[in-house]
Amino acid sequence: MEKVLARFRAISEQPYQSAAEWKKLNKGKIIGTLPMYFPDEIIHAAGALPVTLFGNDDEPITLGDKHMMTNACHQVRSSFDLLLKGHYDFLDGIAALHVCDQVRFFLEVWQLDHPLPFFHEMWRPYKLHDTSRPLLAQELKRLLNALEEFTGNKITPDQLLNSIAIYNQSRAMMRQLNQLRSDYPGIISAADMVHVVTSSMLIPREEHNQLLAELLSAIDTTQLPVVNRIRVVAAGHPCDPPEDELLNLIEEQGLVIIDDDFFTGGRYFAEDIKADGDPIDALVDYYMNSTPCSTYHYADDWRREITQTSPYAEYIIDKVKKGQAAGVVILRLMYCDPLDLEFVLLKNRLNQENIPYVSIFTESGPGAFEATRTRIQAFMESL
Amino acid sequence: MITVGIDIGSTTTKAVVLDENGRYSWSVQPSGIDIPAIGKQVIKNALDKLGLSLQEVSSIVATGYGRISLPFATKTVTEITCNAAGVHHVFPEATLIVDIGGQDSKAIKINSQGRVVQFAMNDKCAAGTGKFLEVAAQTLEVNVDELGAISQESQNRIVISNTCTVFAQSEIVSLIARKTAKEDIAAALHESIVSRVLGLIESIDPELEKHIVLTGGVAKNIAIAKLLERMMGRTVLVPDNPQITTALGAAILARD
Repeated sequence: MEKVLARFRAISEQPYQSAAEWKKLNKGKIIGTLPMYFPDEIIHAAGALPVTLFGNDDEPITLGDKHMMTNACHQVRSSFDLLLKGHYDFLDGIAALHVCDQVRFFLEVWQLDHPLPFFHEMWRPYKLHDTSRPLLAQELKRLLNALEEFTGNKITPDQLLNSIAIYNQSRAMMRQLNQLRSDYPGIISAADMVHVVTSSMLIPREEHNQLLAELLSAIDTTQLPVVNRIRVVAAGHPCDPPEDELLNLIEEQGLVIIDDDFFTGGRYFAEDIKADGDPIDALVDYYMNSTPCSTYHYADDWRREITQTSPYAEYIIDKVKKGQAAGVVILRLMYCDPLDLEFVLLKNRLNQENIPYVSIFTESGPGAFEATRTRIQAFMESL
Repeated sequence: MITVGIDIGSTTTKAVVLDENGRYSWSVQPSGIDIPAIGKQVIKNALDKLGLSLQEVSSIVATGYGRISLPFATKTVTEITCNAAGVHHVFPEATLIVDIGGQDSKAIKINSQGRVVQFAMNDKCAAGTGKFLEVAAQTLEVNVDELGAISQESQNRIVISNTCTVFAQSEIVSLIARKTAKEDIAAALHESIVSRVLGLIESIDPELEKHIVLTGGVAKNIAIAKLLERMMGRTVLVPDNPQITTALGAAILARD
């Protein structure tokens, strides 16, 4: 089990090495996508390799800031910095959808300052409502056509369904691993769980599926260490992977993370896309019924509820109850506006349900580790 | 059972010795690099006041920022939990605590058993902490202990616009150059600290709490307590020795 985990770690730590190697062997095209929710399946169906661009927590931002403001999340600033520094020169193109304002506006700056042969912005509606369906369908078709043109490969509905099936397999295995984590806490560290998901976005999915199947078969639930830690759900920190050091710090203070909603985690593998019928319709359905996210807007009448809730808050509460967790560790990614705005709704609901929580601001690089340790330890002492 | 609580803060190290009758003694010293040596010294000073020796101590709880650096501590507990225990001992009916230390400030909500329910900390920035007053006192060339009394003499309200401790220092210098009265500057500094701390308190939703307990070294400044009372519209209670409340809480928890 340790050998496979080491492989996942290695891929996550050297994210673009695998992609550069793939390019040499396959002579195919590599399209970099930005978190979150880009329909990588369509890129896969076009015979290209989708690779998610996360930025680098250890590399100081030196070039990126002269093109845009600094009060943006690290993920966007860093990935732009790496682009300008040539770290992404193996890419043939970049694609992203409008997950938030930062990504949306920065994409335009990127296109101006560092044009690539293929640069595709997909409009994703923020509002999850029937009236948004036609726009989404149109945008998915536009992406499909653009990829066909760029790669020179036709994408038939069957090919796309096939790609969807491969990704569904991947998600199913991740769900299985996540359930094992809840049933047998400590079986896999939170940091390793993040590595498993992150690495899937960096290498061909078929290859990752093989590795993940190997990991699952290597897990022996009869030989597990007894773990006496308090069960918690980790919430927040969208887009890039939360740092190992932070997750390890949380789990070293007597807590164990039994579920999370990170993009490089729970929310990535929660739902599958229907792998039959019209694949575009299936994708539209998938987006319309997405795992609640702070980047979406919901139907207008949610505010009329007496509890003034948010679907995102309910989703987290549901995880806490299903996972029989004692509380929530909320990772507030710095400068993430959608999450920041959602936080108040989340904490109000957690207070109503008497679910204890602690809020930790996350930033890149070493950060204030002792301060974080104190907060986590104080939270644990209060449970 | 004799226990010791030691609070190793960024600015000062405090020790409390608690005996079986609930009597306690305490000692405070500036913090430094050699945490174990300072720790030993400050504990010895507190023990001496009760005529006790280290051999008679059953348990030592270390808290504060330097707690992991004391090899002879029996156990480490965060300053949040210790502060709650200390306040609960002094004011059993307290539910809301504001602790303003040398380099951090905290707002803590506790339940009727003295257990922490919610907390918020500011330790990324010196604004709203003792450091702010220390730097300002230096700039005004007065003793930091005199600032409270000086501020009470203020006749004109001015506002220090810079929230950053470092930039506020420059602002104070320019105010002095414009012949602004020391008392007015001092009063503005107090308002600045309390405003920062108010934000911290609000973040833990204190609608129902009737009064606030103020602890930490800065609580020795009566002007801060009075201003907090006025700005929050609630009674502010200050323990007799607010700087050692956390260390006292640590000594109490050492009994468990």
